[in-house]
Amino acid sequence: MSTYSDASGAIAPLPKVRRATGFGGVLPALAFVTIFFIAPVAVLLLRSVLEPVPGFGNYAQLIGSATYLKIFANTFIVSGLVTVISLLIGFPVAWALAIMPRRLTSVIFAILLLSMWTNLLARTYAWMVLLQRTGLINKMLIGMGLIDKPLALVNNLTGVTIGMTYIMLPFIILPLYGVIRKIDPSTLQAAALCGANRWQCLTRVLLPLAMPGMAAGALMVFVMSLGYFVTPSLLGGTANMMLAELIAQFVQSLVNWGMGGAAALVLLVVTLSLYAVQLRFVGNQNPGGR
Amino acid sequence: MKTTFAVAAVAAFVAVSGPAHADNMVFSSWGGTTQDAQKAAWASPFTEKTGITVVQDGPTDYGKLKAMVEAGQVTWDVVDVEGDYAAQAGKNGQLEKLDFSVIDKSKLDPRFVTDYSVGSFYYSFVIGCNADAVSACPKTWADLFDTAKFPGKRTFYKWSAPGVIEAALLADGVAADKLYPLDLDRAFKKLDTIKSDIVWWSGGAQSQQLLASAEAPFGSIWNGRMTALAASGIKTETSWEQNITAADSLVVPKGSPNVEAAMKFIAMATSAEPQAALAKATGYAPINVDSAKLMDPETAKTLPDQQTASQVNADMNYWADNRDAIGEKWYAWQAK
Repeated sequence: MSTYSDASGAIAPLPKVRRATGFGGVLPALAFVTIFFIAPVAVLLLRSVLEPVPGFGNYAQLIGSATYLKIFANTFIVSGLVTVISLLIGFPVAWALAIMPRRLTSVIFAILLLSMWTNLLARTYAWMVLLQRTGLINKMLIGMGLIDKPLALVNNLTGVTIGMTYIMLPFIILPLYGVIRKIDPSTLQAAALCGANRWQCLTRVLLPLAMPGMAAGALMVFVMSLGYFVTPSLLGGTANMMLAELIAQFVQSLVNWGMGGAAALVLLVVTLSLYAVQLRFVGNQNPGGR
Repeated sequence: MKTTFAVAAVAAFVAVSGPAHADNMVFSSWGGTTQDAQKAAWASPFTEKTGITVVQDGPTDYGKLKAMVEAGQVTWDVVDVEGDYAAQAGKNGQLEKLDFSVIDKSKLDPRFVTDYSVGSFYYSFVIGCNADAVSACPKTWADLFDTAKFPGKRTFYKWSAPGVIEAALLADGVAADKLYPLDLDRAFKKLDTIKSDIVWWSGGAQSQQLLASAEAPFGSIWNGRMTALAASGIKTETSWEQNITAADSLVVPKGSPNVEAAMKFIAMATSAEPQAALAKATGYAPINVDSAKLMDPETAKTLPDQQTASQVNADMNYWADNRDAIGEKWYAWQAK
């Protein structure tokens, strides 16, 4: 009896203690988010409506100028292209990774991670050397007699798309791999037994089941692409300047924080709304959800 | 109110850096070989002489500099900036006035001295060419804009800064002494004629890479990068015809905790010997008029200060006053 009361006595205060540590645990995190995220964003917001004169002049200038609208459009076009191509390449790779022998999988993962850990600038420079008119790819194509004039592969949309897709691929392959691995192979067998052909197996069984991973990966790639700086700056031409470059110009070089803040906030709002849309989308696709 | 917020934003940065001690100071520059040379030519002898440690930081970032000054938490004591930025920041009250009782300006090239800044070193945009890759090298800015006579890609500086607009106007026949105020419309019209043949460089290393690989066998390049390229064994040609000069400047951000040390550092950095040592290491010109005497004639010959006969001075004050307006038009034209 005494053991029981001891035990009950020990259990009774537990929920209280838990609640206390729970709240205490949240405080530092809240403080962190406030100092490192909310406060800087608030400063940015204030600057964008206060400098150089109070009002919404910066936003009007951003939206009213054909140049800035073109840069917004560029940003979305490049990010969209990179996302679509990453999906097209990443899906088969993730699928292959999921079904190939374990040992081979770990080798390919090691290559993927090594490329992710290599300095971004170094990788971008490497692409520059490969893609330029006097670069390896053009020299090879000319040597093989396939073309007689070098192709313009860099300092344009092609260059940015290739460079960014290469850098984004791991971010789409990893979540896709996770989802595809969890798909029970017997569902595909069942579909085949019920008379589905290969195409139907892919579009009506595999793709819907992999959708949460595809959506998560695509969103991650799209959002990361929206804010990309180094690769477009080095591999792109000036005609496809992206938003991050414009913001960097405003903040670092022109020291016009009003405009920089306005542009950065537009980017932030777009990103957050996309994220909200995505949450809904993935929620609906998840059969167990809600 | 604004300041309070800015303080919060910069707090993290400051907390990490900590306050500077009286016996050390922080010098910020652009990194790479130039800052290495500044460290060797200026900071090391300065520490030896005064016992003041010079902490190297960088790269220089005007946004960061502004944030420090506004928040009253300045961690940089001496900063290497571009000349037009120095002129603008001085006017906007972001810099300490220099103490010319400590810094001897009698020997400094007066083109690069203001109340708030003195030259750090000076460079020229020259017409650089990879002579191995082409049958003939362009000699003048007009040549560089002549795609019939000199077919192929050419490279220019990507950012809105003194240099490219001046080159376009000179190529279009504007006399060197009639450049300012800049006729931007005329410059962009001229640039339009070669726009599809331009490969832009955004940093010095990139300009070297473009020339060396013959991706763009010629273009408008900083002279120091041509010196380095020639030293790497590539057959280069540099034309000094109407070389366009601008200088980097040394400034002290307003509210620097070590103003006294900063002034002493600038005095040392701009004296004849350290300026000569930097010039030897970088291929950029000294701003101290006595430095040339301290160098061997062969080296001195390759520097912009020996090319004054055909030199065009970029007007830093004009750029300081019109930085924003030019920048806006520049990026609009680029994005077209």
